[in-house]
Amino acid sequence: MKNRLKVLRAERDWSQQDLADRLEVSRQSVNAIETGKYDPSLPLAFRIADLFGLPIEAIFLKD
Amino acid sequence: MASISARRRYIGRMIPISIAYIVTVMLASRIIPDDAAATPLTVAVALVPALATSGFIWAMARYITELSDEYVRMLEIRKMLVATGLTLALASGWGILELLTDVPRVPLFYVFPVWCLGLAAGSLVNKATIGDGGPCP
Repeated sequence: MKNRLKVLRAERDWSQQDLADRLEVSRQSVNAIETGKYDPSLPLAFRIADLFGLPIEAIFLKD
Repeated sequence: MASISARRRYIGRMIPISIAYIVTVMLASRIIPDDAAATPLTVAVALVPALATSGFIWAMARYITELSDEYVRMLEIRKMLVATGLTLALASGWGILELLTDVPRVPLFYVFPVWCLGLAAGSLVNKATIGDGGPCP
C-alpha cells in the first residue's frame, strides 16, 4: 500500500521522530510505514488520519 | 515511549530470573549427587531451576503483550516464529536420527537454548526480508 506520510510530514516540517512521538510509536515504525515495508493496523491508520486531520483514504492509497 | 518501558520491564524481570536460575542450578548440582536415582526428592530439587526457565518464557510473553508498538511487536513475533520453526525442525530431525541411527543422544535441556539462538536467526530473517532486525532483548 502506498502512502503520503512523508509528504504530509515534510509539509509540517516534522522529523520521523517528531511524528513517532505524536503517534506514540517508535521511529522504526514511522520509517517502515513511510517506506511501505509495513501497513499499519486500522486503529493506527485512524490515529495517523486524526493527527493530520485527513480521511484515511487521503493518506493511504491502493497500489 | 511505551515500547521502551516494556523493554525496561522485560530486562528488569530477566535479571532476577537469570540470577535465580544460576543460583538454583548451582545449588541443585551440589545437592544432587552425580547419576542420582530419580526419587521424589531429587526430582523436586532438579525441577527448581526449571521454574526459572519457565520464568524466562513468562517474561518474554509479558514483553510481547506489553509492547504497544505494533510494528516492533510484529518484528518480535516473527523472530519467535522463526525460532520455533527452527527448533521444531532441528528437534524433529535429530529425534528421527536418534531413532534410526546411533548418533549421540542430545539432552532435551538444550531445546530452550536452541530456541533462544533461533531468535538471532529470526532477527537475521527480519533484516533480510523487511530490512529491520528489530530490538535484541
